[in-house]
Amino acid sequence: MSFDFPILSLLIFLPLCGALVLCAFWRSPSVARSVALAFAAAEFALSAWVCTASTLSALPGAPAGFFLFEDATWVERFGIRYTLGMDGISLVMVLLSSFITVIAVLVSWKGIEERIPLFFALLLAMESGILGVFLSLDLFLFYLFWEAMLIPMFFLIGIWGHGRRVYSAVKFFLYTFIGSLLMLVAIISLYLLHGTQAGSYTFSLAQLIHTSVPYGTSLWLYGAFLFAFAIKFPLFPLHTWLPDAHTDAPTAGSVILASLLLKTGAYSLIRFGYPLFPEAAHAFTPLLYASAVFGIGYGAWVAFAQTDMKRLVAYSSVSHMGFVALGIAAWSPIALSGALMQMVNHGVTTGALFAMVGMLDERTHSREITTYGGIWGKVPILAFFFLLFNMASAGLPGLNNFVGEFLVLVGTFRVSPAAAGGAFLGIVLTLIYTVRLVQEILFGKENKPLVLPDVTLREGAVLATLAVVDVYLGVHPGPVLDLLKVPIALLTKA
Amino acid sequence: MTYSDAISLMPIIIAACAALLVLLAGPFLPGSMTSAIAVAASVTAGAFAACTTPESAPALPGLAFTPLAHYLIPVFCLSAALTLMLSHGYNERRAIKGEEYPATVLFSLFAMCVLPCATNLLTLFLALESIAFAFYIMVSIDLGRAESGEAGLKYLLMGAVAAALTAFGFSLIYAGSGTLNLSAAIAAPGNRAIISAGWGLVVIGIAFKLSLVPAHLWTPDVYQGAPAPVAAYLSTASKVAAAAVLLMLLGFAPPMGELHVPLYLLSLLSMVIGNLAALLQKNIKRMLAYSSIAHMGYLTLAILTGSKEGYAAVLLYAAVYTVMNLAAFGAIASLSTDEERSQVSDYSGVGYSAPFRGGVLALSMLALAGIPPTAGFIGKFFIFYAAIRGGELTLAIIGIISAAASAYFYLKVVVHLYMRPAEVDSPKPSNSAESFALCCASVAIIAIGVFPAPLLRLVDAVLQ
Repeated sequence: MSFDFPILSLLIFLPLCGALVLCAFWRSPSVARSVALAFAAAEFALSAWVCTASTLSALPGAPAGFFLFEDATWVERFGIRYTLGMDGISLVMVLLSSFITVIAVLVSWKGIEERIPLFFALLLAMESGILGVFLSLDLFLFYLFWEAMLIPMFFLIGIWGHGRRVYSAVKFFLYTFIGSLLMLVAIISLYLLHGTQAGSYTFSLAQLIHTSVPYGTSLWLYGAFLFAFAIKFPLFPLHTWLPDAHTDAPTAGSVILASLLLKTGAYSLIRFGYPLFPEAAHAFTPLLYASAVFGIGYGAWVAFAQTDMKRLVAYSSVSHMGFVALGIAAWSPIALSGALMQMVNHGVTTGALFAMVGMLDERTHSREITTYGGIWGKVPILAFFFLLFNMASAGLPGLNNFVGEFLVLVGTFRVSPAAAGGAFLGIVLTLIYTVRLVQEILFGKENKPLVLPDVTLREGAVLATLAVVDVYLGVHPGPVLDLLKVPIALLTKA
Repeated sequence: MTYSDAISLMPIIIAACAALLVLLAGPFLPGSMTSAIAVAASVTAGAFAACTTPESAPALPGLAFTPLAHYLIPVFCLSAALTLMLSHGYNERRAIKGEEYPATVLFSLFAMCVLPCATNLLTLFLALESIAFAFYIMVSIDLGRAESGEAGLKYLLMGAVAAALTAFGFSLIYAGSGTLNLSAAIAAPGNRAIISAGWGLVVIGIAFKLSLVPAHLWTPDVYQGAPAPVAAYLSTASKVAAAAVLLMLLGFAPPMGELHVPLYLLSLLSMVIGNLAALLQKNIKRMLAYSSIAHMGYLTLAILTGSKEGYAAVLLYAAVYTVMNLAAFGAIASLSTDEERSQVSDYSGVGYSAPFRGGVLALSMLALAGIPPTAGFIGKFFIFYAAIRGGELTLAIIGIISAAASAYFYLKVVVHLYMRPAEVDSPKPSNSAESFALCCASVAIIAIGVFPAPLLRLVDAVLQ
């Protein structure tokens, strides 16, 4: 089934239209919430509908593997075209983004108390930016969305965050900005190189892939791309913006940051980094292995030392994204499918963890672990979900993270046993901090007398949905892996 | 002079007649009427220039409606019109009375319209210095503040030195080439040593006007002291005029070998020192002054490449920079009451107490930082593209790193607007002329950012 209207553009710009519509509701916060939820739900419905599109038909004019494609002239002088495309990988990412945005809207229903319409407008604008990154096939358009994502997140952290929110927001922005600017130099250099070789100047990914870049230059260009993406991943040692940004952001901000923003870095490496510079990417593989393995262990190690729940989960994100990086570095079909699965799984699981930390924070206004203890008896439903998502994060078989981690380790072991061995040790460390977190919050003696209401209907719906997705992906990952099969085969054989 | 010549010189004629009309009839008309006449005149002049096709033959001895004039005169007219609209409210609040102000703006617009039409060195110099004269008056026009007079005096003294150097440079070029005609003076071999010496002095003089380091010392003080709409006009139109002079003298050909090192150093120092110094500023107009210096550094980088892409980048950046700075200074002007909000911290919480003006200020800050999808990003992209294509990779990387660092002080304003609680009184409502001007500027920023193709076509038409 094909669509005869520009569905990809609709996917990208519907949330932005929602954000603009929300500005009209700046006097009525309660209506604004419902309008935001309606737009987020509509976006999710739309992306689910796209799933029904035939993923096997070859589209004329589209690059191989893309079953939805849009192309229009934009700035002819520079050869910039408005090119969007969806293949299996982007479809999975788009589904994840729209799903997590609905979750984020629901999670901040009660938590945000001031300037509510602006908050939800920025949330929806973020979704537009993220979807733009996942769907662009033109390097200039990709760069535009990549940078445009930063502005709403900057405001979300700076206005509604807590702690050192302005410091964290500015740090997040500047860190990412400088990486992106260096990537811009690389993009322009690649563009000029292609132009002098082929005679026609273009920013289109499909055509730039065919540029023959001299080896030395390709190392620099790929290095600039990798630098920008590594900041977003985040890969050790470029991760220092993440704990601050995650900890000081509001709950929905953390959810979107962890579940979606980090994935844009990984996705872009797979979509742009490796296809454009294959030899340079393979030359950088040892560095990527080292950074990934060290990140897995380091993230887990430092997470164990945290006293703030949110900071602990933030460092656990560093650790989990190390698995994704490991899978990408191995660049074999199994490892890459594991990495992409892990991206989805981490999005769901860590999004759920941040949502739960936010729920606990709303109840006691404290994110310190020492505030809690023995809450299993008081809030059994909340505690059950907390245990479930933490076990998922630890990689318990039957839950989703296990699938991703297993595939990554199997795929990497064939290519580089040393790296896989190092990652195994990281899993042990992951268990240590997860069990410590669960034990200190859920079990044991209570440290302070707390009044904890159990989950409300809204919170329960959110957690239940996330749990169902979690278990489903853990038990039946087949459909998602099938979607990923064809694009991964095309990427790894190239 | 034929009918078509008269039509092609209409912008100049309109500006001059309107200036005289405002000056003569001003005492008898209410203030808003004189402003309205002035705005109408600027808009009409711009419309005429945009609709007339350029010809190469001189309409008058020394004046030809070149393609450059076809592009730049609408930019100047837009700048003047928006400044007049912004000053309308500002001058009432600051008790700057009288018709001298709109008349001076129109006189400067007249000189700005003459400048890109000039075909000989003397007309070029006269136009350049007439612009400066008008600005000496406008900078010091706020009689209620001593800083305004001080700024005017500093600008006058520095500008006089610059004018002297430029005049000497022009006369040396004349002596070396034997003709005042612009195209002939560039092409004629003549006496290379004298022409080079003349060029050197001209570059110093233009560096003053463009406030490139190390000829930038007047800029922060003058921007701080001048009334905010005048600072807007000064930072945009006079810089664009100076850049236009440089382009016309270079004849859109690569600069000769001797100019490479001076332009390289000017660009490098301006980008780095401009951005670094802005990081330390607490006064918002000084910060914007240093940011102007950095932006002129980027402009010089594009001129340095000497390629067609570089000159196209300069022309595009001229238009983009104009709307960005007009929005920034305009928002500052409309947010001030009888005391200007001079410190960045005075803008705390203004994003919520004055959402539209705070939003325009935030948008202009993001545009100046070069963040997509604003016009500032397109401008920076084009400049760095031209630089890398022209072979200046090192300078482009230095420029990009300093642009990344510059995001910090632009973000500082946005942080104060939205993320800090209000400290001083909330701003009073703005009047409709100011809001309209700010609206025009912000729409232009976003429109050029998302659909740059039309403007790029115009720029390419100039360079044919």
